[in-house]
Amino acid sequence: MPTDGLGHRRSFRVARDVVAGLVLCLTAAAAYFGIRDLPISDPSGIGPGLVPKTVALTVAMLGLIIVGLGFPATSRRLDHFSIRGPLFVLGAVALFAATIRSLGLALAGPLAVMVAGLADRESRPFELAIFSLVLSALCVGLFKYVLRLPIPLAPFLLGY
Amino acid sequence: MGELLDNITLGFGVAIGLKNLALCFLGCLIGTLIGVLPGVGPVATISMLLPITYGVDPIGALIMLAGIYYGAQYGGSTTAILVNIPGEATSVVTALDGHRMARQGRAGAALGIAAMGSFFAGTVATLVIAGLAVPLTRFALLFHPADYFALMVLGLMLAVVLARGSLIKAIAMILVGVLLSTVGRDLVTGDERLTFGWSEIDDGIDFAVVAMGVFGFAEILRNLETPETRDVVRQRIGSLLPNYQELVQSAMPILRGTGLGAFLGLLPGNGAVLAPFASYTIEKKLAADPSRFGEGAIEGVAGPEAANNAGAQTAFIPLLTLGIPPNAVMALMVGAMTIHNLVPGPEIITKQPRLFWGMIASMWIGNLMLVIINLPLVGLWVRLLKVPYRLMFPAIVLFCCIGIYSVGNNPLDVYLTAAFGLVGYLLIKLEFEPAPLLLGFVLGRLLEEKLRQAMAISQGNAWTFVDHKLAAGMLAMTFVVLIVAALPWARRRRDTAFAG
Repeated sequence: MPTDGLGHRRSFRVARDVVAGLVLCLTAAAAYFGIRDLPISDPSGIGPGLVPKTVALTVAMLGLIIVGLGFPATSRRLDHFSIRGPLFVLGAVALFAATIRSLGLALAGPLAVMVAGLADRESRPFELAIFSLVLSALCVGLFKYVLRLPIPLAPFLLGY
Repeated sequence: MGELLDNITLGFGVAIGLKNLALCFLGCLIGTLIGVLPGVGPVATISMLLPITYGVDPIGALIMLAGIYYGAQYGGSTTAILVNIPGEATSVVTALDGHRMARQGRAGAALGIAAMGSFFAGTVATLVIAGLAVPLTRFALLFHPADYFALMVLGLMLAVVLARGSLIKAIAMILVGVLLSTVGRDLVTGDERLTFGWSEIDDGIDFAVVAMGVFGFAEILRNLETPETRDVVRQRIGSLLPNYQELVQSAMPILRGTGLGAFLGLLPGNGAVLAPFASYTIEKKLAADPSRFGEGAIEGVAGPEAANNAGAQTAFIPLLTLGIPPNAVMALMVGAMTIHNLVPGPEIITKQPRLFWGMIASMWIGNLMLVIINLPLVGLWVRLLKVPYRLMFPAIVLFCCIGIYSVGNNPLDVYLTAAFGLVGYLLIKLEFEPAPLLLGFVLGRLLEEKLRQAMAISQGNAWTFVDHKLAAGMLAMTFVVLIVAALPWARRRRDTAFAG
């Protein structure tokens, strides 16, 4: 990651709040599209469309104001996004979701911990592997046996 | 008075049962354990620990949750004193003088006075809750849906004005939260809203998914990007009992902090954040020698800690009597109560007095337990603080995964949480505060429900919000608050108040 010598990451050339405002506008537009057919009023008074439509329009309006306020050259630039952190941390979560039903906590647990651990540049694979096993064993004890949550343990082996 | 005494007796009868006492203890202990971890605030702690309450009956679960909440708060203070971590909202102020005291070898005294101040504040705040609950509930039962709607709007506005950060962005976040709350089948007409034809989210998005995504995971991603500067105290901890002179110096700050915190905690927004700042400023102004502040003045720990704890506790009042969570932590409590099929609001105290008073009593017991647990366990917390982040965060990820899966035994929830983690990361990069989003999300459904009820009663006449004097007054006040907060001098004051 490029830095400016003071340890601060370089940032994009675009103002942060301009992007922030645009993201709000896009969100609002997508939401409005998702509810475009819902009526604003119905015989009993307010229809299912009134609140979400009003809110979406207001969000879009605020988004535009934020874009406007963010334009001056002095406003803060957008930080660089890191890929490694989100990829491994959220990847580990998705991996847990994909494997918990088939592999159970006994395997999905250590797997998630190891993948998540890789998000840190300073991770040590061996230490991480041991830690993931110990931690998962503790979790099995706490969640499965003490708190009796119905989480699969090792379905391929035990059937539950 | 007799009624109050009866109620408190009833509460202690419930809370002192062996099982509930054990749950309270467990909640406090685990809450402190997670709350001590640097970079894990109360919201993340509670969302992470929610699942451990699933298997317990509603009374026990609430008692345990309250314990987790106090534990998380107190754990934060312990970390602030032992490790200098700027940026943790509720204990930023404690770190100023507390960490300096620790550097001087007086960590014990700082931790001790924090515990004593918190306990005193907690005791007073418990009495305030017990005293205010019944009259406020009676008042709340008279509310028309229009009044309720107006109260929520006013509350949300105050919540963003009294918090730090950009006002306009916070308001946008509330609205995005409200928008998210409309996802799923419409409660009145059954129309699908914002599901984009995806039937899995017909029932709406679970609040735990949103909370853990934008608070839990996003927080980890933020921490991974900031190089760690953990400065765990190496000096000896010292005696946990403050000496006579320190006690005398702390007495008045604790009293003032308690009063301040108890009052600010009632207001929407994060009373537990605002109160310590206010207490610190006041103590510094009143001190004979203000230059001691920042150099290890015990008043700078005692006052803010008392204020913090009193505020953290009286924040329960709007939730339990009106059903309106004043801040993000209380929004989590709403979610937790919903999981146990409890709807927070005036009905709880009238229909389930055992649950209500049992919880109040256990608040006091929880505060007492914190003193008992924390002081002897300081050594353990110090060692825990030395666990490197590279091991800490994968453990947090695993806890969150197990927790989210256990909400509905559905892997889809886990995927969705990962998606919200990405959303949370984006919010951090764009400097949007996630707390107002969660508040809007939790209140959104109630807000719309009350709006529709009010309009149905008035047969579609929007003037009902003017005809109801209470509603009209509160909506007018919302407007005034917004205008005042946008004025330049108010904006400057707001910026300095939060410039910890």
